[in-house]
Amino acid sequence: MLPFQLQFKTGIPAYEQVVYAVKKAIISGALKPGDRFPSVRSLSQELRINPNTAHKVVAALVNDNLLEVRPGIGSIVSDAHPSTREQRRELLGGEIERLVVEAKKLQLEIADVIEAIRQHWDLLS
Amino acid sequence: MNNIIETHNLSRRFGHTEAVDNLTLEVPEGSIYAFLGPNGAGKTTTIKMLLNILAPTGGSASILGVDSRRIGPGELAFIGYVSENQKMPDWMTVGQLIDYCRPMYPSWDPVFCSKLRAQFDLPLDRKLKELSRGMKVKAALLVSLAYRPKLLVLDEPFTGLDPLVRDEFIRGMLELSDEGNWSVFISSHDIDEVERLADWVGIINGGQLKLSESSAALQARFRRMECVVSEARKLPPALPKSWLVPEIAGHSVRVVESQFAESGSEVEMRRVLPDADQITVSPMSLRDIFLALARTFRLTNPTQL
Repeated sequence: MLPFQLQFKTGIPAYEQVVYAVKKAIISGALKPGDRFPSVRSLSQELRINPNTAHKVVAALVNDNLLEVRPGIGSIVSDAHPSTREQRRELLGGEIERLVVEAKKLQLEIADVIEAIRQHWDLLS
Repeated sequence: MNNIIETHNLSRRFGHTEAVDNLTLEVPEGSIYAFLGPNGAGKTTTIKMLLNILAPTGGSASILGVDSRRIGPGELAFIGYVSENQKMPDWMTVGQLIDYCRPMYPSWDPVFCSKLRAQFDLPLDRKLKELSRGMKVKAALLVSLAYRPKLLVLDEPFTGLDPLVRDEFIRGMLELSDEGNWSVFISSHDIDEVERLADWVGIINGGQLKLSESSAALQARFRRMECVVSEARKLPPALPKSWLVPEIAGHSVRVVESQFAESGSEVEMRRVLPDADQITVSPMSLRDIFLALARTFRLTNPTQL
């Protein structure tokens, strides 16, 4: 089992979707500093993705200082990055862009969109 | 990057039929190459020529840098091969099969072999003829992985396997992904199985190679484009060549743009359809790209793809 959740969507490169899912898990606290991160092999097996893609995912997360490589152990979630409100908000970036694109296509005003969000927000509160 | 497989005008004729017709392709080392096409397209014939099971009637192929006609035990010790209709010594038990294969491969890894056998849930003392189809395929994969081949050649490995066995098969195959520069050449008529695994895709139909490209390049150049036109009508006869399967239903137009360019494609759409409005551009899955190509190439039996 992987320590983060992911349902692939069509059209978006697998690499981006995995990186996003891992960042989300780290920022939301599902993956905590010091937690072991799956190897390239198990990422590839569990997600059925190309091992080269899995390798790229790990390299990108290491590069972003979200993972640290511990020789002999593998990679672990680094503790360099406590999650801030700003980071949590960044996670919504892609979703918001899609919402705005759809809203503009339907020729809605920003006020209509905010009102629609407010209604859904209240439903879940 | 080196190519683990290369063919140049590779051809094979049976009587008057060109089963494989001037096939030229390259498989980069370290890739998982999906060789797709309907049944009877020439996939198995190609693979048999690559492995020197069948002689070409024209052209040439090289595999691991060696001419396919010269491939012998020395090269086969680095190649794993599992085919849909694998001939197996049915009278042997799983344990006997392992003992029989092991001396042929200097790089045989007994620890890895035991690990895989446990993972595949294969009983050592069971005769191959008593195994289900799925178990037999797993046994064939086991003795093709245990020596950690540099190249794995899989011919329609998933045919007739239930989803659980397919999953075990793929997991087993990916056990090798720790090896550097390990390559897979996998033929299939079903893209679903290899959608996110393949980083290279080749399409063969009627013996001819229709396309050979990296998945990333394919996904970068294909987009579904839709728009709404103010007047319902037939599409103009002269459409851009890069538009595949153009369709119109009422006021909605839908095309597959096969040469997508960030701004150019929308400009082009407005040029061809001056009343186009609400243009949307969406990325496509490998499967959708494949279906659009299948319809364009009019592959025989496209429903299987």
